[in-house]
Amino acid sequence: MLSIQKGVRVFRGLPFYPVLQNRVKYTFCSIVLSVLGSAFEVVSKRAPEFNDEISTWEDGRRFAIGILSRGPYITLEKRGDAIRFLGKGLLSPEISMFFKNLDAAIPVFLGLKGSFQVFAENGMIVDGNLSHTMEVNRVANIVNAYLFPGIMLKNVLKRTPRFNLLQLTVKARVYIELMPAFLWHAARN
Amino acid sequence: MIPSYYQHFCPVKILSGNKAVSNIPFEMNAMGCKKAMIVTDKGVIDAGLINIVKEAFADSDRQIGYIFDETPPDSSNRMVNKLAKLFEKLSCDCFVAVGGGSALDTAKGANIVVSEGTDDILKLQGNEIIKKDLKPMIAVPTTSGTGSEVTKVAVIYNEEKNLKMSFVSDKLYPRIAVLDPRMTMTVPSKLTAATGMDALTHAIEAYTCIQKNPIDDIFARAAIELVRKYLVRATENGSDDEARLGMANASLFAGIAFSNSMVGMVHSLAHAAGGVCHLPHGIANAIFLPYGLEYNIAKVPQSIAEISGMLGGSIDYMEPEEQASVTVSMVKNLLKKLNRISGLPIRLKDAGVAEDKLPAIAKAAINDGSLVFNPVEMDYEEALSVLKRAY
Ligand SMILES: NC(=O)c1ccc[n+]([C@@H]2O[C@H](COP(=O)([O-])OP(=O)(O)OC[C@H]3O[C@@H](n4cnc5c(N)ncnc54)[C@H](O)[C@@H]3O)[C@@H](O)[C@H]2O)c1
Ligand SMILES: [Fe+2]
Repeated sequence: MLSIQKGVRVFRGLPFYPVLQNRVKYTFCSIVLSVLGSAFEVVSKRAPEFNDEISTWEDGRRFAIGILSRGPYITLEKRGDAIRFLGKGLLSPEISMFFKNLDAAIPVFLGLKGSFQVFAENGMIVDGNLSHTMEVNRVANIVNAYLFPGIMLKNVLKRTPRFNLLQLTVKARVYIELMPAFLWHAARN
Repeated sequence: MIPSYYQHFCPVKILSGNKAVSNIPFEMNAMGCKKAMIVTDKGVIDAGLINIVKEAFADSDRQIGYIFDETPPDSSNRMVNKLAKLFEKLSCDCFVAVGGGSALDTAKGANIVVSEGTDDILKLQGNEIIKKDLKPMIAVPTTSGTGSEVTKVAVIYNEEKNLKMSFVSDKLYPRIAVLDPRMTMTVPSKLTAATGMDALTHAIEAYTCIQKNPIDDIFARAAIELVRKYLVRATENGSDDEARLGMANASLFAGIAFSNSMVGMVHSLAHAAGGVCHLPHGIANAIFLPYGLEYNIAKVPQSIAEISGMLGGSIDYMEPEEQASVTVSMVKNLLKKLNRISGLPIRLKDAGVAEDKLPAIAKAAINDGSLVFNPVEMDYEEALSVLKRAY
């Protein structure tokens, strides 16, 4: 037991370890953000409550989600009555929601913690018009409700939504359509 | 319980007690400042309070650059920009804000504009986006409520969009807060009650919302106990200087607590009602507080239950939910008492809010940033139903 602990300590002390660890975390966050970007697109096309929310937004409203200070980031935009995932990076967003570092983002991306909790733990900052940010936050909650399996939702959201039959079929369609959308964006980026 | 992570920050030097205002020129000197921009409003001038400040400057070599008395209720983007221009034109080097939350926040807003080198406050919004250090600011609150003298928040009314904007930044803390009982002695009874309820709401929301932490709990608890001891006294008898200084401290403690722990749905509703129909902030909080507590009971019964003890209730061995409803009744009783003494409205109807404004208030409330920190989610329909019950 002791020798395993010692081995881990030695390994962590190797000069390349922090860089390696960071690469793994970065790659994980980058993949999750791509899935999230695609999920915004798919859910915005399918979920009626999402459409209600964004119906009052001005066309072209851009928002970004990402991690300080070296990324990854994604930028999204309202176009027509849906959300478009514009791609990786910060593409002049009007509203941004940033995690302060990779460690703050990972529990959220693993579905262990809600972003509201990380916000309350000073792990996130927002930039831009606050009332627009609240609107983005609400649609992000809707996306999470469709994206995460039911049992994880109690960690992710303050209140677990009770889906009706229609919403459950939408959720199934989101799952089916998410993979092709993700691959399409991955190929494009 | 210690939360899994928290932060606490309060870099403000506090001067509290008799003739505290007389120390302002000394403190300016210590900060290397020579010429002060005094920011206030007409009501404060009429109450004769600026004379106390002038007297303090009279026996020193520090100067008053200008006395800006055009602060509107709830501050405004236009006045903030105007004040910033004046500050630069007259080469002032610090702000001395003397007034309620409106004057203090006007000074904070102008300070952002001056220090960031912009010409319009509307160009800067969001959390923690102020990058430059601000000019030194000395805050002299003349109401006991907002706690703005120790907070990193400035609430400014957007005249174009009819909404209250919150600016939040660690740079926004004033350098010095001055609590002098002479400065609040002239506050009329109803305003004393309303602003006192703002302070109580800060403490209670800090204690019950999701950013609560052990350090702010100490401040919130102390604030609630001071409110219990002094709010009714100060409302009944304005010249009770012990009660005035007690409430000034309560407001400051509550300010420290909520500047770190933030506030929740009661403030979302109050900001919204302030934006939509200019309902004064303290009155709005007083009206919404019991409904906000009721709304949150199911999620945080323990925290709400504990408050009954701070408000002077006996701590029986009840279930948390039961004890929490005791807290709600105690708040309601306090409101009734304040209503009897000062005429503080405790229903929206009595505060002159038109019923057809409720949907607009509900819509603004769910877009207010404070809602993020509320333990329970609130959607449009739920906000509307709370408003209807408070009507
Ligand atoms: N920055 C923050 O942290 C924070 C927190 C809570 C509220 N606020 C904001 O503060 C504002 C409300 O501030 P407020 O409640 O202190 O009211 P206020 O500053 O608007 O003052 C209310 C009235 O009382 C008068 N007045 C003030 N002091 C007086 C005195 N000593 N004697 C006689 N009259 C006096 C003023 O002239 C004014 O007419 C709101 O806009 C609210 O959103 C800010
Ligand atoms: Fe307040």
